[in-house]
Amino acid sequence: MNLSHFEALVMFALIVSTVFALITKNGPREQFRYGVFVFLSFLAVALAVGWIMYPLPL
Amino acid sequence: VTSNENSPISEPIQSVASDELVPSAPIPTAAALAICSGAWLIPGLGHVLLGRWIRGLIFTACVFVMFIMGLAMHGKLYGLEFEIPLQVFALIANLGTGVLYLIAKYLGFGIGAMTSQSYDYGTTFLWVAGLLNFLIILDVFDIARGRKP
Repeated sequence: MNLSHFEALVMFALIVSTVFALITKNGPREQFRYGVFVFLSFLAVALAVGWIMYPLPL
Repeated sequence: VTSNENSPISEPIQSVASDELVPSAPIPTAAALAICSGAWLIPGLGHVLLGRWIRGLIFTACVFVMFIMGLAMHGKLYGLEFEIPLQVFALIANLGTGVLYLIAKYLGFGIGAMTSQSYDYGTTFLWVAGLLNFLIILDVFDIARGRKP
């Protein structure tokens, strides 16, 4: 399976946010909102950290 | 729609969709631990046994997909290696997937191809699949003991 870094990140965030939402919240609406929040947070933090590291030498 | 009979106000206090919000009666600790064992062996089974079918099936799908993706990305399943003691933590994380780990090990999957570009990702997916199942097991225990709906 050849996923790009971003595709792997999206899959990871999707699965983890789904489990977190179902475990921590009770109502369906709460679960959906929290799941979307966690999913978007994963993506935003990863992109932010990626851009912060971008100018650094390898 | 249910209503609170003791309330002076005869308005419904819960909707149909929130019927599941009511914690069920606690079951004995031994039975709860038995259900947790089932939840460890087959991810999602604990919720199914407690009547949370949809949640259980979603958990099953999440752990299975993450585990299979980890294997497909050439991740490594750790075994007991005394030469490198700290690997026991990786083993514990892998063991969280229960029967998936045992079957994959038995079939010889999860050797881990370090030359693969996705090796690190795959190994992380395998760890996280197990760790998520540990969280799911704790959720099963809380539901079984009546601590949460």
